[in-house]
Order: sequence, then structure tokens, then C-alpha cells
Amino acid sequence: MSLKVLVVEDDREIRALLQSSLAVEGYDVQTAVSLSEATALLRHTPPDIVLLDLGLPDGDGVQLVRELRKTHSTPVLVVSARHQEAQKIQLLDAGADDYLSKPFSVSELLARMRVALRHRGTSPAAAVTEHSLDDLRVDLTTRKVQRGGVDLHLTPTEFNLLARLVRSAGRVVTHRQLLADVWGPEFTAHTQYLRLYMGQLRAKIENDPAEPRHLLTETGVGYRLADS
Amino acid sequence: MAMLLAAATAWCAALDPYVSLTSQAMIYVLAIVIVAYRLEWQQSAVGAVVAVTALNFFFVPPRWTFEVESREHLIALTVMLLVALVTSHLAASLRRETRHAALSERRARQLQSLATELASATASIDIASLGQAALNAAFAGPNALSVCDDQGKLVFARNPTDTDVLIDSTASRESVQHGLQSCLKEMAVLGPGTGRWPGLDAWFFPLLDQGKALGAACVRPANASDLDGRDHATALCALLAQATRRMHLDKTVQAATLEAQRQHIQSTFLAAVSHDLRTPLAAIVGAASSLQTQADKLSPADQHRLLNSIASEAVYLSNLTENTLQLVRLSASGSLQTALQTDWESPEEIVGSVLARVRQRDPARRIKSKVALGLPLIKADAVMLAQLISNLLDNALAYSDAEIDLSVQSLNQGQLQQLEIAVKDRGPGISSAQQDLIFEPYQRGDQAGSAGPNGSRGSGLGLALCRAIAQAHGGSLVLRRRGGGGSSFVATLPLGEAPALAPPLQALAQELP
Repeated sequence: MSLKVLVVEDDREIRALLQSSLAVEGYDVQTAVSLSEATALLRHTPPDIVLLDLGLPDGDGVQLVRELRKTHSTPVLVVSARHQEAQKIQLLDAGADDYLSKPFSVSELLARMRVALRHRGTSPAAAVTEHSLDDLRVDLTTRKVQRGGVDLHLTPTEFNLLARLVRSAGRVVTHRQLLADVWGPEFTAHTQYLRLYMGQLRAKIENDPAEPRHLLTETGVGYRLADS
Repeated sequence: MAMLLAAATAWCAALDPYVSLTSQAMIYVLAIVIVAYRLEWQQSAVGAVVAVTALNFFFVPPRWTFEVESREHLIALTVMLLVALVTSHLAASLRRETRHAALSERRARQLQSLATELASATASIDIASLGQAALNAAFAGPNALSVCDDQGKLVFARNPTDTDVLIDSTASRESVQHGLQSCLKEMAVLGPGTGRWPGLDAWFFPLLDQGKALGAACVRPANASDLDGRDHATALCALLAQATRRMHLDKTVQAATLEAQRQHIQSTFLAAVSHDLRTPLAAIVGAASSLQTQADKLSPADQHRLLNSIASEAVYLSNLTENTLQLVRLSASGSLQTALQTDWESPEEIVGSVLARVRQRDPARRIKSKVALGLPLIKADAVMLAQLISNLLDNALAYSDAEIDLSVQSLNQGQLQQLEIAVKDRGPGISSAQQDLIFEPYQRGDQAGSAGPNGSRGSGLGLALCRAIAQAHGGSLVLRRRGGGGSSFVATLPLGEAPALAPPLQALAQELP
């Protein structure tokens, strides 16, 4: 059975483009032009993934994401213009899985959708415990991190930070989410610590920390652990 | 006067045994001159008559009578009376002249100082308050002054504590306002001695400039015979009108300059739109329509080339739109700092994210980046800073074929720690005449032509935005010519003091190596 995608987008051209290019890839595409229409569709036929445009005529979508998260773990991809960082972060913190900045290429979109669907968690036990890409290997159960077969010594905080990113590998994690999960909810404003520790982590696991392969920065939003 | 005459009489009586009648007459004459100098003409005339009568009564024989014995004494008394009257008249007019001269001088001085003060006034409210103060200084009042707004309507202070402070009752305030409006309507002075509305208790002066109403003033007390006072008030009002007119002219000139600037910006913007937007749009439309109608005749390689051109031109348009929006955002907000969303950011991270994006357009990896280790955090808007670096790299890629050096390091300039971001290319370079021009919006180095050696374009707004971003962060962006050819763009940004670690995190920070 093909996967169902709900595209919430008010622009006709982009909606048509998404519909045709996703249909070609074998997705079963539903479209909605407003949040109210999307809400109705979500109740009627729950999709497998949602593409949500920012700046819809009837709201910012935060309510929709919160509503959806109460009952479903359906992945939500936010599609936004650049420089809507504040709104993006709001949606990501409300439970959206990832975002894409307009203009984007179809291949970028498909890659993000694949990652989001992989994390869908069809069964709760399928939590990520391992990550490997190129010369980097992380095993969360044994707390082992290797680069090119050599063990790396991470401090507990560095390891916790890396572990949090591994659990969301391929997806963006906002500054706020990282600070809350690694340091605690009272530290969500202390982004400078995050930057210091990310700097140290990059120095240990990257070949060229100034042009990272693994720990990618999503400027103004958060970090992403590369998974391909 | 009575006391002075009594004193003269007593003095004469005391000296009576020793002096002649002539000396006594002289004493009275002295008294009369003093009286004439101190009192009004009518009073001093009465004094003269009394003095002559007293001399006659007390000292001219036969004493204690008003009769005069000898003809000689009669002549003397008559002459003395005439002399006394003439003296008092002269003294009185001399005094009047002196007072008048002093008043004129004070008024002339006031006009002069008002003119000086008005010259430095910068707002019409200043003119109104200076004018009100001048009127109050020159006339007992209550005086009033109102200036016209842009529509030529008089503006009255709503608040009675303001210029209308001395006009107590509402009724009299209304009558003053009516008078001010009427004199503006008639464009003439109203009040006593003017032939118009002589029954009024005040003068109403219009402030006029070439038939244009600028304001009106009300002056009290008004006296039909006080020509000098009216002239002075007229002169004050003329000064105020002149100052108001200058203010209007200044405003007009300022508005005209702004309008000219706006039109210039608009025309350069239109010129830029016609070039920077039309060219890529033409390429997109051309390629798309070719694919639409000729797809079956085109080789797969040609089709691929057309599709690539559509994609790259669209990316160019997207970047241009982005730069335009950011530049408008930076220049629209009055203060540059408010347009930024700053946080403590890592320069290494920002460079990393920019490179991840720019490498897509740099398959040959021509950009060589050198980021110093252990750079401090910088208080900056990460998105803006990323755009700055990205624009510089895009330009370098577009205008040169050789290697491009990106270096990021911290510099110590005395007490000041600064972050230096430099992008160096081996392109054709930029002539010194154009070095400032390229930072203007919608300009580009003409030597490079409208397209770089790779057939690609830089972003027309890119450098203007880069400079605006650097300046918004309190830094600068300069262009240096490189020894051996090429250009070097150097952005220098101040590094503030990074925040100290909060106590609960210090334990965690001990993990820092």
C-alpha cells in the first residue's frame, strides 16, 4: 500500500508541483489549501506524513501540530521561506519533525521525507541505538564513539549531546530541544553553552571542524546530525 | 511741589535780614526749575504761578499783601513768571525726549535680539514662543500670538496655561481669537488709530508674507496716539513673519531634497530591476518555452542544458530576492541594531553552514577555508552573518577562475578584540574609481562586465547588503587590492565580552579541556 501524504499549501502552482512530483514517487497525495481543511482531512483519513506550509491564510499551523501530536506520531515537515526562523522554531518545538526552506529542490524534499518517515516509530521499541556514517560510529548502548576505528573520549555532556542528535539523526533539533534534553528545561536560553560544547564535539569527531561532515549547523534554528 | 516751595519760602525768610530781594527771587527760580524737571508741564506751570505769588506775598513790599508797591517790582515779578513758565515747558519736553529716546533704544535692541534668536530657531513652535516672549516684554498685555498650520488655519493653544495665559476669561479669549482671524481675513492691522475697528482695546496684526497668511498677533494696551508703539509691534510682527517664512522655505527645500533622493533611488531601482531581474527571467522563459515547443527536436544534452539554465537562473533570482529583502529590512528599520536578532554565535559554525551551501556551486572546491582554532563566540545575527559570507564567496566564484581564500581569525586591536573575515580572489580586480561604487546598491564592477568569466553573475545587491550587515554589527567591510592581482574583501566585526558561565553550569564547564 502506498504511503499517504497530506500537502497543506495555499499556492496553486506549488501545490500542483508537489502533487505531481510526489505522485511520481508512488505517494498517495491529498491536498488542503487551509488549516481548517487540513484539520478536517486529518480527522477523516489520517495520512502517513504531512507537508505543512508556513503562512497559510487561516493561521500559523502551531495549533494543528499540537492537535496532531496529542493523538498521532505522524511526521510533520514544515515548508517555509527563509528568514521565518522564529516561526519555524515555534513549529519544531511544538512537535514538527523537520523543515525545508523555499526554494527547495524535489530531491531535497524526498530525502527529508524519507528521513522523517524512518523516524516514524511504527513500533516504540525501534528506537535508534546506533549510528554510523563514513568513519564515525556511535553505539548508544555501550556508550562507544569511534572515529576511523579509534575510540574517542567524550565527556558525559558531550556524549549526551551527541546521543540526543543520534536519536534524531538526519532531522533538525532546535537549540531549545537540545538544551532542554541535555542540560534541563531551565537552561533553554543558554545557547552559548551549546555552542561551546558543539565546538568541542566537532573538534573531536570532525576531520575539518570548519567544514563539518557530521554535525551540521542549521543557522538560526539548531543542529542536524548528517545521516547520509 | 508744595514742600519745595515751602522750603524755598523758609530759606528766603531765614536769609531775609542778609540778602536782597533779587537773591530771594533767584531761590524761587531754582525751586521752579527743580519742579519743572520733576513734574508734568501743567503742574510745573501751577508751581511757577504759586512761586511768583508767594514771593510777592511774603517778600515784595508791602509784605503780607498781594499788592506791588513799585513798578520795578511788578516788571520783575512778571518777567520771573514768564521765565518760570518757559523753563518748566522746556524741562518737561526735554524729559519727554529723553524718555522717548530710551524707549526707542530699548525697542531697537529688542528687535535686534529677537532677530538673532529667530535666526537660530528650528521649529515653528520656537518662533511662537520667542514671539510671545518678545510681545510680553514690549507691551504690558495681555498679548497673544498664533501661527498658522500648513493649511493656513490659525492654531490656538488649547491649553490656557500656554500662550493665552494672560487672557483669563473664555469670553475674552474668544474675542481675541475672533480678532486674530478677522485681521488675517482683512490682511490689515485692526484697532485704535488704524481706521479699522477703532473701538477695540487691542491691536491685531496679521503676519503676512507676500499675501500668504502665516499667523496673527494681538497686542495690548492699544492707544490711537501711540504711533511708535504700533510701529514697534508692526516691526516685531514683520520679524516673526520673516522667520516663519524662512521655516516654511526650509521645510520645502528639505522635502524637495528628500523627494529628489527618493526619485533617484527609485530610478536606480528600476534600472536594476530592468537588468537584474529581466535577464534571468528572459533566460528562464526562453529555455522553458524552447523545451515546451521543441522538445522532440532537441538532443537530450541540449534539453539537459536548458533545464540546468532554468534551475541556475531561478537560484540567482531567489538569491537576489533574498538580498533585496534583507537590505530593505536593514534600511527600513530606523536603527540598524533593531533589525538584528542577535545571540552568541560561533563563527566556525556559521562558516561551516555557509560552506555547506556554497559548495554546491563550487564542485571544483576552489574555496580554501582557513578558520582559526578556538575562536571566541560573537554576538551577532547568525542568518545575516551567513548571508554576508555567502555573498562574498558567491561574488568571488562568479568573478574569478582561480583559488579563493576564505580566512576567519580574531585580531587584537589594542583593547579591542575583532573578528576578521576575509575573502580573497584572483579575479580581474576593481579599479580604484569603482572601489566605493561597488558597495552602492545596484552597481557592479564594470570591468567584469555584466557577467563573470564563468558566464555567471554576482548578486547586484550583494556587496551593498554585506556592507550594511557589517555596519549593523558595528563593524566594517572594505575592499583591498591584492598584490599579484585580484581583490580582497575584509569584514571586521567587534567581538564583545562573552557572557560568564552561570553558576549551575560551572560544574559542567569543568569538563572543558
